[in-house]
Amino acid sequence: MPYSETFKDHLAHPRNAGELADADASAELTNPACGDRLRLTLRICDGRITAARFLAYGCPPTLACGSALAGMLEGVTTTEAARITRQQLTKLLDGLPARKSHAAALAIETLHAALRGRDSAPDSEG
Amino acid sequence: MRRVYLDNSATTPVDPRVVEAMLPYLTEKFGNASSVHFYGQEARVALDRARREVAALINARPNELVFLSGGTEANNLAIRGIAESAVEHGRHIITSQIEHSAVRGVCDALEKRGWEVTRLPVYGDGIVRLADVRAALRPDTVLITVMLANNEIGTIQPVAEIGALVREERERGRKYLWLHTDAVQAAGRMPVDVDALGCDLLSLSAHKLHAPKGAGALYVRRSVRLTPQSIGGHQERERRAGTESVPLIVAFGRAAALAREEMPARVEHLRRLRDQFETGVEARVADIVFNGDRETRLPHLSNISFRYIEGEGLLINLDMQGVAVSTGSACSSGSLEPSPVIRALGRDDELARGSIRFSLGKDTTAEDIAYVLEVLPRAVENLRRLSPLYQKATAGRSRETTNV
Repeated sequence: MPYSETFKDHLAHPRNAGELADADASAELTNPACGDRLRLTLRICDGRITAARFLAYGCPPTLACGSALAGMLEGVTTTEAARITRQQLTKLLDGLPARKSHAAALAIETLHAALRGRDSAPDSEG
Repeated sequence: MRRVYLDNSATTPVDPRVVEAMLPYLTEKFGNASSVHFYGQEARVALDRARREVAALINARPNELVFLSGGTEANNLAIRGIAESAVEHGRHIITSQIEHSAVRGVCDALEKRGWEVTRLPVYGDGIVRLADVRAALRPDTVLITVMLANNEIGTIQPVAEIGALVREERERGRKYLWLHTDAVQAAGRMPVDVDALGCDLLSLSAHKLHAPKGAGALYVRRSVRLTPQSIGGHQERERRAGTESVPLIVAFGRAAALAREEMPARVEHLRRLRDQFETGVEARVADIVFNGDRETRLPHLSNISFRYIEGEGLLINLDMQGVAVSTGSACSSGSLEPSPVIRALGRDDELARGSIRFSLGKDTTAEDIAYVLEVLPRAVENLRRLSPLYQKATAGRSRETTNV
């Protein structure tokens, strides 16, 4: 399956790229199998994410997932954020090739790790 | 949008003169070259002419060529054919760490079936050392298979020196040792002479020479016996059963003749543009590493690792701006391991993942290169801005600057 136009647009024009200097929550995870890396920084006010930024190193799906995820987080409560699934992220990119689904997994795990860093955040991974 | 094709090591555009030569063999001249009647003989004449043309490109005798489907089949026939026919004399094969997957895969498969394989290192410059070949030789070595020029970094291997070593061994009375070289990337881009190389077998592919995909050849020196890998017909002097694809072979012949005639001009053109390209990239992009020796290599190819970013992201960014290249990143190949060729140079995973191959062709223009030099630095910059590795490195650098 070739990459979708939406996917390529995220790659050409990443949303919310960068790093927040005074972040309230952050996480950086590496996929041990392929070395892909995602860094997420969040600013949170009264349980609501007010700013989200990502940095990513790795294959295009990792970059696109970082962009799509950071783009959908702003304005969302931490409880809502914790419920975002891989499937929702994949749908936002109009699909991912099957063998690239690990990129969405890394993005969601990084989000959970960032939220876990805060006491109030639920741990949806159990 | 402007389109620039810099992936000529993957395949080349078909030359219109080659299309013109093959067209009659797709239409009215459709005969089977094994048939005795007029149609068959017409095809046979064309096949013979193509055989002479391809033979001339590598200074071989026409009857030393076996036409087949391409480079991969040529490598399969050479390596398995020798290994199986020489099985009573030894089961040891010497190869390099940077062979094309068609050679690597066949050697791996033989290893699983009981053969022993020595894979020679290539050091930082991507070149096999003759001393290592000599040291690896054993009484039961039956085959040395080392490519003439590498497909990812273009480095030219000392095949002529290895050929001389094999001749030396023969003069000492050794009968069962053969030399094969994969010349798929080299042919048409540097002079190839089977006698000067002293090789017994040599693989060629048509579509790297501006002919269509689907034809190739294996040069088999007279007196070398190998076990055929396809049986059931008398074609190609019993060495490759199956009706010859006359149109594709005619195209191969025409392309080989053109490559031979135009080689000095093509090589000069490619080298000038490639060097222009590399000088331009060096001036515009920081934190890059050139892969492979920059002297002993093919004139059309440049392999560069861009630090802090991954190759496929760069490839897609360039593709969106009309520039076609290829990458050694694992993503592209569908495996987890990045290019074994770049890894064999001693580069770390990050550099292997960030490697891009730019391969020029005879039709590449100075305007094409200027366009790539305009687009490439921006694409690298955009990806680096996203990269946590780059952010950390630059933060470190600015701290260092502040401290000084």
